[in-house]
Amino acid sequence: MSVLRPAIRRLAKASIVDARSFTTSASRLQAEPLQKPALNKEFKIYRWNPDEPAKKPTLQSYRIDLNQTGPMVLDALIKIKNEMDPTLTFRRSCREGICGSCAMNINGQNTLACLCRIDRDTSKDSKIYPLPHMYIVKDLVPDLTQFYKQYKSIQPYLQNDNPPEKGEFLQSQEERRKLDGLYECILCACCSTSCPSYWWNQDEYLGPATLMQAYRWIADSRDSNGAKRKEYLQNELSMYRCHTIFNCSRTCPKGLNPAAAIAKIKLELAAD
Amino acid sequence: MSTLRRSGLQKDVLSLYRRALRMVKTKPPSTQDKFTLYVRYTFRTSASSVSPRDVSAIEHLMRKGKRQLETYENPSIKDCWVSEEMQNWEKNRT
Repeated sequence: MSVLRPAIRRLAKASIVDARSFTTSASRLQAEPLQKPALNKEFKIYRWNPDEPAKKPTLQSYRIDLNQTGPMVLDALIKIKNEMDPTLTFRRSCREGICGSCAMNINGQNTLACLCRIDRDTSKDSKIYPLPHMYIVKDLVPDLTQFYKQYKSIQPYLQNDNPPEKGEFLQSQEERRKLDGLYECILCACCSTSCPSYWWNQDEYLGPATLMQAYRWIADSRDSNGAKRKEYLQNELSMYRCHTIFNCSRTCPKGLNPAAAIAKIKLELAAD
Repeated sequence: MSTLRRSGLQKDVLSLYRRALRMVKTKPPSTQDKFTLYVRYTFRTSASSVSPRDVSAIEHLMRKGKRQLETYENPSIKDCWVSEEMQNWEKNRT
């Protein structure tokens, strides 16, 4: 008991000093907290309403105070929707870059609104468009039906007719390492819609996102259907429309490299 | 008299309409009238809502129609709902 006592006394003394240092004088104690000056920035957002199909799409501008908003573009969009214009339509869900819902074109770059910081330079406006070269459902919501159909067409699930006798499939560490940089893809469609080849041949070219997932299943040591998977890509358009433009790798908000995955498929197909 | 020459878009619209009418034939006879009215009403009202020169708007309506039709072509769909508005529209047409 007597050993502890000096320690307690020291603690109590320290807290009094801290409380004193928080406000050093009476005038400080009564001072109003500093108000940050309003930092108004203009956002120009693509608007189009399907209920009036005869009307052309327009850019609508909104001015919001950046000091009253979160740091990301998605925060600004949510603020606009909550406080200024409830008709603004966009997809969002996790607000931390793991669901891929809020993919859009911000200042000419496809990215996730929740991972894109607002540029604090108020002299320039910020332009927000939906993903380019996609059919629009409304405002910032693109129609991704085709994208998902393509993803379905590569059969993105494990196919193996002889499962192990008991327990799960085993994988060595090297085999597992092959999947790093592939499995993290969240299918936000940023890469596919930034690819000019995909713009012009959306109906037949699969696009970087889907091809990277195709490679993810070809590279998987547990999957035994690799030959069929490769055969499916062995034609003029499905994969060979990739002309290594590298827009996909540059734009990927998760920092993945679809172009490298496509190059590896090409290598494997050439070796066949 | 030579037949009317149609643009590609006009042909697409007509083929979508024909596909919709064929969809009606696959439904049970008791509800076919309702499906016909639904198809006609949806087609005519949206066709008259846009200018024939507004290609992008027509293409959008086509995509929307195609999606709807794909849903209705599902064989498990046996009936559809017809609003009063549609019935009045049918009455006034004849």
